[in-house]
Amino acid sequence: MDLILEYQDQLLAGTWVTIKLALLSLLIAVLFGLVGAWAKLSKNIVAQKIAAAYTAIVRGVPDLVLILLVFFGGQELANSIGTLTGLWEYAEISQFAAGVGTIGIVFGGYMTETFRGAILSIPKGQIEAGVACGMSRMIIFRRVIWPQMVVYALPGFSNNWLVQIKSTALVSVIGLQDVVYNGFVAGRSTRQLFTFMFAVLMIYLVLTAISDSGLRWLDKKYSKGIVRSDDG
Amino acid sequence: MKFKKLITSLTVAALMLGMAGVSAQAADLRVGVEGAYPPFSWKESDGTLKGFDIEIAEAVCAQLKRKCVLVEQDWDGMIPALLARKFDTIIASMSITEERKKRVDFSDKYYNTPAKFVAKKGSGLKITKAGLKGKRIGLQRGTTHQCFMEKMFPDTELVLYGTQDEVFQDLAIGRIDAQFSDSIAADDGFLKTDAGKDFEFTGGDQHDEACHGPGAGMAVRKADTKLRDELNAAIKALRDNGTYQKINAKYFEFDIFGG
Repeated sequence: MDLILEYQDQLLAGTWVTIKLALLSLLIAVLFGLVGAWAKLSKNIVAQKIAAAYTAIVRGVPDLVLILLVFFGGQELANSIGTLTGLWEYAEISQFAAGVGTIGIVFGGYMTETFRGAILSIPKGQIEAGVACGMSRMIIFRRVIWPQMVVYALPGFSNNWLVQIKSTALVSVIGLQDVVYNGFVAGRSTRQLFTFMFAVLMIYLVLTAISDSGLRWLDKKYSKGIVRSDDG
Repeated sequence: MKFKKLITSLTVAALMLGMAGVSAQAADLRVGVEGAYPPFSWKESDGTLKGFDIEIAEAVCAQLKRKCVLVEQDWDGMIPALLARKFDTIIASMSITEERKKRVDFSDKYYNTPAKFVAKKGSGLKITKAGLKGKRIGLQRGTTHQCFMEKMFPDTELVLYGTQDEVFQDLAIGRIDAQFSDSIAADDGFLKTDAGKDFEFTGGDQHDEACHGPGAGMAVRKADTKLRDELNAAIKALRDNGTYQKINAKYFEFDIFGG
């Protein structure tokens, strides 16, 4: 316990990195998810094909492999391009950018499916009714699709988010000093690995508990006026 | 013209992805270190890196008259990061092995902690073929030390364990006559602890090139032969001017450079 207090600055700094990483990659994931869902449901064949390839790849390849590929492979590629063209000698992919980008894009794939499913759950008649009333596509999205989509998507979204928080631990492999990395280094430095791994475990539990109550609040807010049957 | 346009847009894309185009500065030597392997490298609670590897890295930079930039890197990504030019050399207690030599080049060894026997104080154990005949010697299985014992002392009874801690435990309660392991592991993990206070190193350093390999070296990319030669010269200079011995004395009771 004394050791944990001694290393608390390291652990807190790591926790902050984990939180920033999780929130920024969530933002990217939601953007990719919305665009992906739109593309999958659009009538444009090219957009459909691209979105299908995207979800197939990111959901089919382990996150760790993608992170290593972007961080190490991307840098080697950037360096080779630089050397070949003579434009730059050395380019650096920051660990944080590689982590946020990769995790965001990977979970964007899952969000795509979640949002697509949610949009499909909205009865088609409502959209047709909107058209019949002379609503523009933007207004239909804002007034008809979005409020209902959020309700249908929340359970899947919550699930994705919890998995995503934990996936941020993967970035410790590329040396990004998140809570897992800092906990591991402190544990090895003091030869008390289990003490620090236990502390890291507690930190993750706190983070997921906080997001759980946040998500429940969102659920309440968007479910106003919706009566749920018991089996739903 | 089209090609140029493509390159421009690639550059812009690269910058947007968070890469910063940095021209390599000859003055800085970027060193990959680990920070999780005491006493060679560890992290203090305020975040500073400490240890034998760290001080050797700084001494090497001073010798080469280049500024040291220590880059912390997780062990598993160490060689990939070197190859991706995240840093120029690895100074992280990396043993020189044939497997690693396929991907990177190594400087000469900068240390080679010898293997040693540990027995009860005043046991009078003779480390010779005859002296060890019929004795029970404990060691961790699958290590370079098992290779050594089987080769050099075939008449000795080897008692094999899964972990080094079990070897120490059985030595402390007297199930084995002596144990054979890396000297730093034995010193830090046993002799300096309460359980090991009645025990001592015996018989001096043991080394066999074929089993133990040459020791720990500084890794560089294969193309960087110039840096490798500079590192070799720096290691030699530190040995000659006494800097190495000064650093060594802070961490270890004997010279870990090895023979």
